[in-house]
Amino acid sequence: MKEFPRYRVFVQGGGSSVGIEAAGTGAAQIGMTSRELKGEELKSSLRVIPVAYDAIAVIVNPSNKIKNISEDQLREIYTGKIKNWKDLGGADMEIVLVNRDEASGTREAFGKKILGKAEFTKDAVIQPGNGQVRSIISSAKASIGYLSLGYVDKSVKVVAVDNVIPTIGNVRKGVYPLHRKLYFLTKGKQNALTQRFIDFVLGEKVQKDIVSVEFVPVRHK
Amino acid sequence: MKKLRELLLVNIFMISALLAVIGVLMIFIFVAVKGLPLFSVVSIKDFLLSSDWSPSTETFGILPFIIGSFVVTFGALILGTPLAVATAIFLAEIANPKVRDTIRPAVELLAGIPSVVYGFFGVVIIVPVIRAMFGGSGFCIMTAWVVLAIMILPTIAMITEDSISSVPRMYRMSSLALGATKWEMIRTCVLPITLPGIINAVILGMGRAIGETIAVMMVIGNAPIIPVSLTKPASTITSVIALEMGYASGNHQNALFAMGIVLFLISTSLVAVVKATSKRMA
Repeated sequence: MKEFPRYRVFVQGGGSSVGIEAAGTGAAQIGMTSRELKGEELKSSLRVIPVAYDAIAVIVNPSNKIKNISEDQLREIYTGKIKNWKDLGGADMEIVLVNRDEASGTREAFGKKILGKAEFTKDAVIQPGNGQVRSIISSAKASIGYLSLGYVDKSVKVVAVDNVIPTIGNVRKGVYPLHRKLYFLTKGKQNALTQRFIDFVLGEKVQKDIVSVEFVPVRHK
Repeated sequence: MKKLRELLLVNIFMISALLAVIGVLMIFIFVAVKGLPLFSVVSIKDFLLSSDWSPSTETFGILPFIIGSFVVTFGALILGTPLAVATAIFLAEIANPKVRDTIRPAVELLAGIPSVVYGFFGVVIIVPVIRAMFGGSGFCIMTAWVVLAIMILPTIAMITEDSISSVPRMYRMSSLALGATKWEMIRTCVLPITLPGIINAVILGMGRAIGETIAVMMVIGNAPIIPVSLTKPASTITSVIALEMGYASGNHQNALFAMGIVLFLISTSLVAVVKATSKRMA
């Protein structure tokens, strides 16, 4: 880090479950997750530290004319009931559904908000990361997917959900339906350096200048 | 002194050879110990014959992945074998030395490319081509076929070429002396003699195809369903293990190890079957 040239932070991806597992086993000092702990994980005495709010954006290929999708339509798409864009007022082409793997906290949050108790259709392309989802959507015309707002760029088109566009402002106001918290996890007593890193991320500077660019800060709003 | 050195060296070589055996045993025991406990939760029949895979609800049916692995492997062999055998015939019988010395290193190089690079090549080049030709996402069985066919081509081509080259020159001469054209000579004299070698080459190619993981995972789309269309996403045994091992725990993790046992049994029995049939043919 520029500000602390003597220290290095190693970051590894893999999905929320990987972050929880790594913090639980002590493989990492800090695990990152975008979903709440559940089942066995609750017994593992992990300390849960919220660091930001995040929105989940629904994205389509830039060539797609669709601008808005309702939560009900999203549910029908992701349970496999709607299979063609023409049922949503778009062109007559079969929807290419892109989903995340089961380790994903984004998938978990999306499923909870949109599907409720229904199950995802299995007839979807499964990708293990936000970046891979974005890359398919940016190149496959008929595709639809979802990802963390922080990963949205110009190669994909964000659609409004129930007429609300996912922006940091709309998440802050609480009007955009698809949002969740992002957490740090630590186990037991951390060493001084880990604690300093956590304080640094929760500090005014990072929360205001960095976190607020792509997410909604938990502190120093 | 001399005797002692002799003894020492013999033992060093023996231990080296034993290490390989111990390695295989350890791997098998480890996978079995981690995988077998699953069958106290799920019956073997449900595990192998149910098509419902959803680890979050503790449902473990791997039929889609077994079928996926077979479809992907045989498709790649059907695409790759004729290409590879034709390459081998060209290199061994037709090409002049100059051409051969350019093409052979290129084919050999193909064998040395890491599989993740093949996967990357698949995502960047093959996926868009398949998408443009057949629609959909491009992440599908057919893409996996093409990527795997290229991957197994050098294995099959190199071994086939070796066995073609080992056909004695005298046989070719006799065949040509009897008035056979070059193609007749290759077809009626060289290829029949080479057949066991080709079968061996295909076995090795099959081994590589069924075990290939990362390249397949990157292009197949990873949908946990029984393949219904060649242009739809599917999964193989290896792609599921690679995708889910990072976060799996408890029964889910055991199920992935149990899939490892199944893969091990499938690949060894495939090799045994093909070896037995080729022996009968020879």
